[in-house]
Amino acid sequence: MAWRNIWRNPRRSVLTMSAVAFATLLLVFMLSWQFGSYATMINASVKIHTGHLQVQAKGYQEDRDIRKVVPDPEAVGKILSRTETVASYTFRAEAFSLVSSKDRTYGVLVTGIDPEKEAAVSTLKDMIRKGRYLADDDANQALVGILLAENLKVSPGDELVVLGQGRDGSIAATVLTVKGIFSSGQDEFDRSVVHIPLHDFQEIFAMRGAVHAAVVICTDLETISQAKKEVSEALGNLEKGRSLAVLGWKELVPGLLQAIKMDLIVGFIFYLILIVVVAFSILNTFLMAIFERKREFGVMMAVGTTPGRLTRVLIYESAAMTLLGSAVGILVGSLLTAYFQVHGIMIPGTEEIAREFGLPERIYPQLSLLSVSVGAGVVLLITLITAAYPALKVRRLKPLEALTAV
Amino acid sequence: MILQMGWRNIWRNKRRTAVILTAVIIGVWSMIFLGALMRGFSDRMRQNGIATLTGHLQVHRAGFRNDPVIENRITSPAAVLDALEILPEGARWTPRIRVNAVAGNARHSAGITLVGIDPGREAAVSFIGDAVRQGRYLQQEDPLGIVVGEAFVRKFETRLGNKLVLMSQDANGEIASRAFRIVGIFDAELESTEKQFGFVHIAASRKMLGVGDDICEVAVLLPSHRQVEAAAESLRQRLPEDTYTVETWKDLLPIVRETLEIYDVFIFIWFLAVFIAMGFGLVNTILMAVFERIREFGLMRSLGMLPRLVVVEVLAESFFLLVLGMAAGNLIGLLSVWALSVNGIDLSAFSAGMEFAGMSRIIFPVLVARDIFTANATVFLMGLAVSLYPAVKAARINPVEAMARP
Amino acid sequence: MKSIRNIVECRDVTKIYDQGRVKVTALKAVSLEIERGGFIAVAGPSGSGKTTLLNIFGGLDVPDQGTVSVDGELLNDMSQSALAKLRLHKVGFVFQSYNLIPVLSAIENVEFCMLLQGVPAAERRRRARSMLDDVGLEDKYDRRPAELSGGQQQRVAVARAIVSNPVMVLADEPTANLDSKTGEGLLQLMREMNEDKGVTFIFSTHDKMVMDYARRLVVLRDGAVAEDAQR
Repeated sequence: MAWRNIWRNPRRSVLTMSAVAFATLLLVFMLSWQFGSYATMINASVKIHTGHLQVQAKGYQEDRDIRKVVPDPEAVGKILSRTETVASYTFRAEAFSLVSSKDRTYGVLVTGIDPEKEAAVSTLKDMIRKGRYLADDDANQALVGILLAENLKVSPGDELVVLGQGRDGSIAATVLTVKGIFSSGQDEFDRSVVHIPLHDFQEIFAMRGAVHAAVVICTDLETISQAKKEVSEALGNLEKGRSLAVLGWKELVPGLLQAIKMDLIVGFIFYLILIVVVAFSILNTFLMAIFERKREFGVMMAVGTTPGRLTRVLIYESAAMTLLGSAVGILVGSLLTAYFQVHGIMIPGTEEIAREFGLPERIYPQLSLLSVSVGAGVVLLITLITAAYPALKVRRLKPLEALTAV
Repeated sequence: MILQMGWRNIWRNKRRTAVILTAVIIGVWSMIFLGALMRGFSDRMRQNGIATLTGHLQVHRAGFRNDPVIENRITSPAAVLDALEILPEGARWTPRIRVNAVAGNARHSAGITLVGIDPGREAAVSFIGDAVRQGRYLQQEDPLGIVVGEAFVRKFETRLGNKLVLMSQDANGEIASRAFRIVGIFDAELESTEKQFGFVHIAASRKMLGVGDDICEVAVLLPSHRQVEAAAESLRQRLPEDTYTVETWKDLLPIVRETLEIYDVFIFIWFLAVFIAMGFGLVNTILMAVFERIREFGLMRSLGMLPRLVVVEVLAESFFLLVLGMAAGNLIGLLSVWALSVNGIDLSAFSAGMEFAGMSRIIFPVLVARDIFTANATVFLMGLAVSLYPAVKAARINPVEAMARP
Repeated sequence: MKSIRNIVECRDVTKIYDQGRVKVTALKAVSLEIERGGFIAVAGPSGSGKTTLLNIFGGLDVPDQGTVSVDGELLNDMSQSALAKLRLHKVGFVFQSYNLIPVLSAIENVEFCMLLQGVPAAERRRRARSMLDDVGLEDKYDRRPAELSGGQQQRVAVARAIVSNPVMVLADEPTANLDSKTGEGLLQLMREMNEDKGVTFIFSTHDKMVMDYARRLVVLRDGAVAEDAQR
């Protein structure tokens, strides 16, 4: 009965459903877009440098003090190897130093890496644009960021002089040969980092076998918190383990998390206002559906239909309309999203922003159960509440008045 | 009288009119209000960028921007300073030395940007003049003083009165180093600014780098940002292109420029989305109003009213709904902007996220006449355009059939 | 144009309504001439084709066969907008009910057609006033239709039909929704207007009392003229 009533005025019903479908479509697409770009941002950040988790000395994250070290990397390595949710890990050590080429000098973060393990954790190996990646037995070789290489005016084969301060406060100095030049797409990283083999670093900076961080990649984004918990517990049993901390990507790049949160909240404010406008847009249809049928309801009530039953019929009617609208919105929205998920979206004029965050040129929206259900759910909820208002009003209808209404 | 009919007709069903007006009002309000907030965001971002040493324009020696070393300094500053005479009345400018340097004390070292400033002139151009929170700003004679940021002091575990050693490449390509004493500590909107810059007197930096009376850049602040392009153009006329580059803040802050452009597009997309949301309601409401008055339109057509005039009558109804909704929406929009413009919106909760996006913690809404115009024009013109559909339906009503209805 | 004696001339007018499965013949080869200044009743039981005939006279409907001309102009090939102009300038309408535009006051309803004709506002108002006075509604200028009785509403409709100086007024069962006393009053008014101002009235009815007022009675039966008599 409710179903037939919808089609008594097909034009109006179609318009109402279109409004619901439009809102749903927009939300499905926009949320998928947002989630997609977050995933890209997190991945970019994680893959370029940060990893999912890092084991560091307590306080190192804040002040980057060369003396705050992980003293026994082997022991930490053993724990990480034992943990099932850990996919791969590597060790790094870093120190701020003055790096000079023949005619330029820049302050740079010199980072010691384990070439083989690093390749399993970050995309550094794939970022090499000129020259070659480091090999395990390389000595006094360096990988230089592409912007830094431009600033220093060096290319593979050129020499660099490093001048810094060792872990013990002594002067750390050496001469390196540029082996490769990398480009991450993230300007800040490409302008300020030099990679050298970890054993060289430990020698030059008097690390005595210590490192600054164990960088961990987990099996997937969902297992990060579990891995963090397991590793923390295992470290607790270690001698001197209490001076170590396990940090997740959220702590390693707090700005990223907050930027995502802010983007989500701002997005939701916009969506909510949009949905409220839609709700008021379609409220009239629901109201009309009742007022133009007052007589009909009067008859129904006169022959003994209870108000509750009337309300139910009306709610079914409105629900059928909104559900149909939502279904169309989800379908079209998903198709649209799926299309762009394959082809990607490029917003012209955003190259600089993309480089700031190390993002690829194209953003791929990510269709997920969450992005579909959240958007469609909110629209459905609000439109159903809208529909309920006139449906409840009908309860106050008096049969006699309704019968005489024109 | 046709307009009068339109006006009276919308009040025949007050509830329906109230509902659709609410949709239009919320829609227009959200356009004005959220538009102003977005403008506030982007305006603040631009202002921060300009105040953080960028200014409206900068003049450099050609090549300095790609390779910002002392070698690429302006060696005949008098020529440049002469050219500045043609700047419009009220323009302020300041010369600077600006090089990358390494700052170090007993425990830490890090790369900073060493800025040599003319204390009096600088204060009129950039933020530093009134950003010093502890100690003092630089004085006219200040051979040893340095002003650094609050975050820098924390990171370096130092305090007012302590020594700081700066190292940089001098005019001869040698490493020059010089000890300064921290005389002032400044606060900035962004922590990255506090970590990046160290200010010394221009004379002190010249002496350290051995560059005589040379300068690295001139920053110009104009009375209004509308004069930027014209001023840049006239400076380019005066300064030979192969020796000097004149760049505006748009060239110097590409990320800010791109963000502003994205906001422009986004604001319009938002207007469109809100309009579509309320457009469905508007069409439906007018359609209902037309269909319940089929007899009336039949009568008018019988009496010889041309279809054209029927269209005008229906559009008049939509016109009044739109104008009323827009008037109230604009009013509420302006009031809410005004209410927020006193204290702004505090986004400290997302400060790291804001920092990530290069924005400030407190956002003040900013009204832009063009946005208000675009919002109203979109609603008004497209509102009338979509109302053509029910209007044409009404004009096509067959008088005989309509009058034969019960 | 004034030389044409007959205001309406129709020859062999046939109208068939296609209502899906059934075809209803509303008019069968009706030929009629309506003289200027007449006061003519078209009578017959419901379904006899009275309303269809009036609609065709008024240019609201077009015949399937046969020709109709009003005031010397052939209606058959006219465009919709030409027909609208013809209705506006040459025909006054009084319908059975829902005659007035609800959002307009009595005087504005009377002015409505003049407005469409492009009569200047001041003249419009003056003519509407005097016409409302003529139909006895001098104290009801600003009432909305809902605030008027059925008889008063029909009087406003008559005033509106006459005020724009049409060549004829078509009234489709004007008294059907009125009680007999009010209906008689309305007929007397129409008769007065016919006699004083020379306006041609053609009205349909199935009421004996109404027929008695007519000077010519055309009786339709099953879509054909059964009787046509001067009285």
